[in-house]
Amino acid sequence: MLLRLAWATLSRHRTRTLLAILGVAVSAAMLLDMVMLSTGMRASFKELLSIRGFQLRIAPKGTMPFDTDATIPDVSDVVRTLRAMPDVGTISPVLGGQLHVQVGERAVTAATIGADPTVQGDYEIVEGRLPGAPNDVVASEDFLTATGLRIGDTLSAAAGYDAQLRSFAGRRTLTMVGRAHFLYMAAGQLIVSVPLSTLQEMQGSRSLDRASLIMIRARDGASVDAVLEQIKAALPRVSAVSIETAMLQVDKRLSYFRQLAFILGAVSLAVGFLLVTTLVTVSVNERLGEIVVMRAIGVARQRIVLQIVLEGVAIMVAGALSGLALGLVTARYLDSILSSFPGLPAAMHFFVFEARDAWMALGLLTVAGILAGVYPSWRGASLPIAVTLREEAVA
Amino acid sequence: MIIALLVAALIPTISQTIDSTPPRRSPRTLAIDERLAADAKILIGDRLVLSSTPGGVGDTVFVSAFVRRRADPSEVARAEYRVRMHLDQLQTLIGYGDRVDRFAVGTPTPGAADSAIRLINAAAFGFQGFRSRDIAVQTSRTFAVVTRFHRAIGVITIVASAIFLLCIMLLKVDERRRDVAALRLLGISSRSIVRGVMVEAALMASIGSGAGVVLGWVAAQIINWHYRGVYRTPLAFALVTPGIVALAVSLSLVLGLIAGFLAAQRLVRTPPLELLTGRREPRVPFEPAPTA
Repeated sequence: MLLRLAWATLSRHRTRTLLAILGVAVSAAMLLDMVMLSTGMRASFKELLSIRGFQLRIAPKGTMPFDTDATIPDVSDVVRTLRAMPDVGTISPVLGGQLHVQVGERAVTAATIGADPTVQGDYEIVEGRLPGAPNDVVASEDFLTATGLRIGDTLSAAAGYDAQLRSFAGRRTLTMVGRAHFLYMAAGQLIVSVPLSTLQEMQGSRSLDRASLIMIRARDGASVDAVLEQIKAALPRVSAVSIETAMLQVDKRLSYFRQLAFILGAVSLAVGFLLVTTLVTVSVNERLGEIVVMRAIGVARQRIVLQIVLEGVAIMVAGALSGLALGLVTARYLDSILSSFPGLPAAMHFFVFEARDAWMALGLLTVAGILAGVYPSWRGASLPIAVTLREEAVA
Repeated sequence: MIIALLVAALIPTISQTIDSTPPRRSPRTLAIDERLAADAKILIGDRLVLSSTPGGVGDTVFVSAFVRRRADPSEVARAEYRVRMHLDQLQTLIGYGDRVDRFAVGTPTPGAADSAIRLINAAAFGFQGFRSRDIAVQTSRTFAVVTRFHRAIGVITIVASAIFLLCIMLLKVDERRRDVAALRLLGISSRSIVRGVMVEAALMASIGSGAGVVLGWVAAQIINWHYRGVYRTPLAFALVTPGIVALAVSLSLVLGLIAGFLAAQRLVRTPPLELLTGRREPRVPFEPAPTA
C-alpha cells in the first residue's frame, strides 16, 4: 500500500520524476567511478607486483626499483649473501638498458631487460622459447612489428652508447628465439630481453657486475617480513622493499587521485541528496492538504513519514541502478585516458570494477535517499491538522 | 646522474676539530633543499659528508644556503631531496671527469634560438640542441593526461548540472502554475510569460553562478593550501582565472536560459484551466451548434 501510494505520487509528475532519476543516475555514475578510482589503482598495482610471486625487491640505496638510472654494484656478492639466507627461495637480478638494432638503413632503439631467463619475473613467453644461449633474445610484439623480425632471425645489436664519442661499448649478433609479453611495460613500448651477463658485457665497464634491481621470492612458509629484516641487516648498502612498502610509496605518489576521488565522490553524493531533497520537499508542499486529510482520517504519522521517505529512496534507487551501468561506461573511458600516462605499465588500471564498489555506491545512495526524505517527512508529519485544512480550503 | 647521487651521510656537527696536519683546502659549500633541511634538521653552517655510494669515501662540505623548489609540475609527486653543488665538486665526487649532462644556453632574443640551435647542431659532436619549449612539452606529457582527465570529469559535471538546473526550473515553474494560469486568463500573452520565466531563470543562473564563483575561489584556496602542504611545493593546483570564470558564468547562463525556456514552453502549452485545477480537462471535440 505504501509503495503504491509512493509510486502514485511520483508518477503524478512524470517529467519531474524522470529528470530527478536522470540527475541521480549521473551522480551515481560519478560516485561509482570515484569509488572504483579510490580502490582500483591500488588493487591493480598490487596484482601487478604479485603476478609472478616475487614478494621482495632490492634497489639501489634510497631509490625505488627502476626509479632512477642508478644500479647496484657487486651483484655477485649481493646474490651470494642472499643465497646464504635459508628463507630466500628464488633470486632474480635484473639490469635495465637499451639496445640499438640495425634494421636495413635505420636503427631501432629498444628498452632492454637483462635477466636470468630461468628465474626471471618480467615476461611470459607467448611464442617460441626462453633464451638458452648467451646470444638469444626475446622481444615484444611491438618490437617485432617495428623491426619486421621473426623468430629464428638474427639481428645486429649494440649497447652502451657514448654520445660524446658516438661509439658503442659492445656489439653482438643475437638470435630471436621468442615473442614475449612483458608484464611491467607500457603499451606500445619496444622491448627485448637478453640474459643478464650478455647485457652486462654489452654495456661495458659501467654495467659489469651491476643490476638495476634484484627480485626475490621467499621460500614457501617463510615469513616475508622476517626475510626483509634479514636482508636489511645483511645488506645495508641497498634498499629492500616488500610489496607493502612499494604500495605505500605508490599510495603517496597517487594520493592526489585518491583525494580527488574522495572529493568528487562526496560532491556527487551531495548533489544527488540535494536534488532528491528539493524534489520531495516541493512534492510535499504541493500536497499539504492531501497529507493533513490522511492524518485527519486516522493515518498514523509514522506511515506518512514512511511514505515520504519511500519516495526519496525510490528515486535514489532507480537513479542508482541506471547510474551503475552509466558509471561502468564512463569508468572505461576515464581509464583509457589515465592509462595513457607515459611509462605506465599497460597492465595497470585506475578504474577496476569490484562488486563491493557497486554495493558501496548503492548503499551510500540509499542512505542519502533516506536522509533526503527526513526533512520533508518531518514537515509533512508535524503539520497542525485544523489550521492546514482551513488554509488549504481557503487556497 | 645527479638524481642518482646519494647523500650517504649527513652529519651535522657543532664545531670543527683542531687539526695538527698541514692546512688543507677549506671545505666547499653547498645549498640544500629546504625540505631536506627540515627533515634532517640541518642548519646553515652545518658540516656534511657526501659520498656517491652508501658508506663510500666522502667529501666534507658546509651548508651555505637553503634552496626552495621551483613550481615544477614534473617533480611534484617525487619526494626526492636535492642538493646544489659546484660543478667541479660533483664531477670529482662521482668520478664523472670533465663531463656534463646538459648545457643551458641563453640567446639575446627569443628569435635567435632557432639559429643558435642550427649552429650548435652543425658544430656539435656527440650532442644536440633543443628548444626549452620542446623539452617542456616532452616533460609535461603526464600533465596533458591529467588535463584530459579533468576535462572529462568537467563534462560529466556539466551534464549533471544541466539536469539539476532543468529539474529546479521545472519545480519553480510548477510552483507558479496558478499565477501563470491567472495571468493567461487575464489576457497576458504566452510570449510575455515565456519571457518572464526566462528572465527569472537568467537571474537564478546569475546569482547561482556568482555564488559558485565565490565557492570555487574558496575551494581553490583550500585545495592549494592542502596540496602545497602535502607535496611541499609552491605549485598552484587550482586556479580561478578570468577565462574560467567567464566560461562557467556563460555556461550556467546558457543552461539556465535553456532550462527556463523548456519549462516555460511546458507551462504555456497547458490550458489555463488545467493549470488552475491541476487536473487534465477532457478534450471535447468541437461541434457546431445545431441550426434551427
